[in-house]
Amino acid sequence: MANKTIRVATDVGGTFTDLVCFETDRTTGESRIVTAKSDTTPPNFEQGVLNVLEKGGVDPATVDFLAHGTTVVINALTERKGVKVGLITTEGFRDTLEIARGNRPDFFNLHYEKPKPFVPRYLRRELPGRVSYKGEVLKPLDLSGLPAILDDFRREGVEAIAICFLHSYANTSHEQAALAEVERLWPGVSVVSSHQITREWREYERTNTAVLSAYVQPIAQRYLSRLAGGLKEKGFKGSPYIMQSNCGVDSLESVSRIPITMVESGPASGFWGAAELGKLIGEPNVLALDIGGTTAKCSLVENGEVKIKTDYWIERDRTSAGYPIMVPVVDLVEIGNGGGSIAWVDDFGKLHVGPQSAGAMPGPAAYGRGGDRATTTDANLWLGRINRDYFCGGEIVADMEAAGKAIRAVGEKLGVDADEAARGIVRIANNNMVNALKLVSLNRGHDPRDFTLVAFGGGGAMHAVALAAELGVRKVVVPAGASVFSAWGMMMSDLRRDYFVTRLADLKKGAAAGIEAVFAESEERARAQFTAEGVDPAKIRFLRYGKFRYQNQEHTTEVLIAEGAVTDARLAEIEAAFHDTYEREYTYRLHAPVEMVGIHLVASAEVGKLTMKKRAATGAAAEVALKGYRDVDYALEGVRRAAIYDGTKLEPGMTFVGPAIVEDPGTTVVIHPGNRVEVDGYGNIHIHLAA
Amino acid sequence: MTDMSNDPITLEIIQNSLQATADEMFAVMKKTAMSSIIYEVLDMGTGITDARGALASSGAGIPAFIGVLDKAVKVIVAKFGKPGDIEPGDVFATNDPYYGGVTHLNDIVVAMPVFAGDRIIAWTANIAHNSDVGGMAPGSLTGEATEIFQEGLRLPAIKIISRGEPIRPVMEIIKVNSRMPDVLEGDVWAAIASVRIGARRLVEIAEKYGVGTFANAMASFLDYGEQVSLKELANLPKGTFELSEEQDDGRTFNVKITISDTEFTVDLRDNPDQSTNPVNTSRDGVMVAAQMIFKSLTDPYSPANEGSFRPIRLLTREGSVFHAKEPAPIGFYYEIELRVYDLMWRCLAPHMPDRLAAGHFASVCGTFIGGIHPDTGRQYTIIEPQIGGWGASRGRDGNSAIFCGFHGETYNCPAEINEARNGLYVDRMELNTEPGGEGKFAGGRGIVMDYRIRGDNGFLTAGYTRSKFPPWALDGGREGSPNYIRYLGRDGTDKRFSFVSGLTTHTGDVIRVVTGTGGGLGDPKERDRALVAEDIRNGLITPERAREVYGYTG
Repeated sequence: MANKTIRVATDVGGTFTDLVCFETDRTTGESRIVTAKSDTTPPNFEQGVLNVLEKGGVDPATVDFLAHGTTVVINALTERKGVKVGLITTEGFRDTLEIARGNRPDFFNLHYEKPKPFVPRYLRRELPGRVSYKGEVLKPLDLSGLPAILDDFRREGVEAIAICFLHSYANTSHEQAALAEVERLWPGVSVVSSHQITREWREYERTNTAVLSAYVQPIAQRYLSRLAGGLKEKGFKGSPYIMQSNCGVDSLESVSRIPITMVESGPASGFWGAAELGKLIGEPNVLALDIGGTTAKCSLVENGEVKIKTDYWIERDRTSAGYPIMVPVVDLVEIGNGGGSIAWVDDFGKLHVGPQSAGAMPGPAAYGRGGDRATTTDANLWLGRINRDYFCGGEIVADMEAAGKAIRAVGEKLGVDADEAARGIVRIANNNMVNALKLVSLNRGHDPRDFTLVAFGGGGAMHAVALAAELGVRKVVVPAGASVFSAWGMMMSDLRRDYFVTRLADLKKGAAAGIEAVFAESEERARAQFTAEGVDPAKIRFLRYGKFRYQNQEHTTEVLIAEGAVTDARLAEIEAAFHDTYEREYTYRLHAPVEMVGIHLVASAEVGKLTMKKRAATGAAAEVALKGYRDVDYALEGVRRAAIYDGTKLEPGMTFVGPAIVEDPGTTVVIHPGNRVEVDGYGNIHIHLAA
Repeated sequence: MTDMSNDPITLEIIQNSLQATADEMFAVMKKTAMSSIIYEVLDMGTGITDARGALASSGAGIPAFIGVLDKAVKVIVAKFGKPGDIEPGDVFATNDPYYGGVTHLNDIVVAMPVFAGDRIIAWTANIAHNSDVGGMAPGSLTGEATEIFQEGLRLPAIKIISRGEPIRPVMEIIKVNSRMPDVLEGDVWAAIASVRIGARRLVEIAEKYGVGTFANAMASFLDYGEQVSLKELANLPKGTFELSEEQDDGRTFNVKITISDTEFTVDLRDNPDQSTNPVNTSRDGVMVAAQMIFKSLTDPYSPANEGSFRPIRLLTREGSVFHAKEPAPIGFYYEIELRVYDLMWRCLAPHMPDRLAAGHFASVCGTFIGGIHPDTGRQYTIIEPQIGGWGASRGRDGNSAIFCGFHGETYNCPAEINEARNGLYVDRMELNTEPGGEGKFAGGRGIVMDYRIRGDNGFLTAGYTRSKFPPWALDGGREGSPNYIRYLGRDGTDKRFSFVSGLTTHTGDVIRVVTGTGGGLGDPKERDRALVAEDIRNGLITPERAREVYGYTG
């Protein structure tokens, strides 16, 4: 074992716990890859992790690097399974959490229901003390009322406390003092203050962030400590790294303090995987698409960098205002459109797909578990895109009778036959996804034609080519192991932290020192934190972004600032970069003064990241992998006789042309007529669309 | 490829793309605007019309702005009727209710024709509230105006960009007439960016599917809107319903609504003459109010387009408060529009108890506070609608602290941003616990917000309705509580206002905004005892009041 490095990623989902293990020979660089799946085991999730390790034949004692992703935080939030929280806030503002922002997104609906705050009014308490937006103390903090508040909280069965004061992004001293006093008066209570999570303004968003963090904190801490304990008991000598929503991993200790940062860890690892894959194969500009059973998610990678934002909300859509969580989350768009999405016809004969999903139970009609409503998966089966004799990698016998019945029912309402209905379902589903992809590209000022589409998740490869054609994208890449791609992404992640600080500054001469100071201050904070965790300071990499706007504007445009200290001499160059970025996004520029509103610092360091090794072309022809031929309905391109390839037998260097289908146990790749396909040295499938 | 011009799936895909485009236009405007009333409050709207100006889709935002853009485009199309009047790259603007602007002069509509070759296939349009467009008072809105000329610069449906090039003199005139020229310029450009980006998308769609298919998609979308409305109209109770209601200012407003299987007729002819105060609205404004209530009654869930509104018939009398003639001032038109909206709602509520709740605070509560920022020395102007309480409905208490029926995807301003940007203090922002709105189901709470002024010689202007007559109740519930402004001068002055114009403010003065709690529904004695106990525990009602109103002794 001595000359092997063993890296493991485990991902706890709602239904399954996944494992991917890379056993890399240090001499040759060759890796043996093991994947396994077992049931998720609530509430003792760590058991599922230990189970899957055992199932995959991985001895924890031999593991060098272990990354872990989990849906425990998002599930606790959406299922309202967190703890009872008490909030302490600035005098005059206890109702901020309930007032929220006052918006009615579903504005013609007079029965709109405003989202309920996570803390009821009687558990929202106030302390006197005020800080200004510039950070000056206007009125000292008066902690004399705190003991009585904590007594009430104890009596009411409060299990976690959130603290958020006005303008704490500019001066943290009042929050720090209150935090220390709470810990002194109630040792061991779970408590968090807003500045520990975010240093940005907007009191409702920050207060809600602190409250939601407190709400999941005891649960997540228990989860993480049991995980660490369970692994240690089985002989694991290291410390697990935990996947974060910002596409990085963080230490278990650090995540335990602020577990809310795990909220979107699942999607983040996939998008990071897409960015890393792009770097590996020379495609720095990537549109990443992850299609699962119930949703499709997408994100954009530019120059190898994922976009991280703090404007993240849960349960927010056209019918609900949702709840903000101001933590760094990869910029993603998610829609209710996956393989299990249900097709339905409204009263006026219009076809819709999703957002309701057949889920795992009863699942698509073709599962034969009693589902009688047609899903996208049923349509894909009906059209011959999915092999009815190799459904779910051969694990399920496709119930084509049920699928046909469900699709015919849709067709009857539309006045068309089953074939036409199935094509319609696929086209509407594709259109929903195209609009989502436009939101992350065109809506952000990027032309999708400049990007390569990387498609993963169980359903990504089935729709990717059609979406690419619609958007003018010229190339689609389906990664090797597309169905467990998220776990691979976790293994490619760096230890990463994003620091957002609100700090107003103009760009006039003399301003540079102040700007440099806030970057330097944050870098110092990052360095101290990394070093305390044993990371070599020389390995820390920083990326500095400024958030700029024209004076009087509110929303900012983020601009990467090149390496080196910010000096007055460089301000003009920084301003010019802002004007360029702004004009590309919004079609015009102004001769107005530019100001900085804050910074976004990315600090990262490599920790045991996997290095991929390219395999040489074998020279074998693709015919080796050819399983046969069948008729496939390509919707717009009609029914064509497609070559069917066995994905497990594809080798580097193989090439073929569409119409074709590649079948893998986890996914099906639909290759349209005229597409040219090649397999690269890592086993990824590159699909070139006809120009 | 086969002919797709009537393929239902293709049409559906184009319709989805129209919606996505209107949303994208909205996002662009939000991110580029310079007035907090636009970027933070989102007092704006975007939309797409067909070549004639029929509304095809609209971006999120304000329901009261959805039926505005089509009316503006129609006026532009009529005015620039000769061949060559409208060319690719042109952009038009109007802000005048007597020239298709519908609302008031602060709201500039920017519209752009979308060309496929030399044929206009659609228009993209945008409306937003600008901070200052000139006129006799800062912020352009004042109760003192007696003619529209005093309310700002009038743009009577004019061209501002010709073939892609700004018409410099026009842009300069617009800019120089504002007390906040840079902000106005920035906001107008944000609107231009929004319509340009929208136009670019529509061209791409038309090129991809063909102009004929594109036009068919729009037409069938409008027909679909009409079908949805007619289907639900058939489910409404039929007959004629009437209501007279006294207003805070002493006028009495009357409405008569007749519902048949195919028509929804709103008769507002029997109403007072137009006022010399800016409390009038254009006929178009009243039409928007009728469209809003109609849409909520028939199909609140799918996007609104011109077809959705086809069954509406509106009867007004020219020269009346609801159909003002030039040069009547219209600055506070939105309160009048809301009064009509609330009047129609109240008129129908007893007959449609499952569709309509008790009355809400039903006022924009437009609050205008300005002065010099003590830290930056720059002029600031707060222009903000307020949030308040909504009425109880069958089965549920009303929502607390959300925007009125006129506004929608609209956001209040965070205290932290307000203090930084405007240089005043927000001493508190909390739920209004004044008595009112009790019932088996209770009205939602309004808010109390204190602004403490940090500089001398600032101003306060406000116009609130439902200040004398609070939100109305249903089925034996209690009335809600009123909307008002309280001015607490540092010198001990204590005044209460519903309308105030240009009051001078000084350092240390407190402006207290109080918005009403919504009306209750049902006999308070029937309220679930557990809910009463919860109200007491949450400090929303005193035990004494609970005993008195709810008969609660627990």
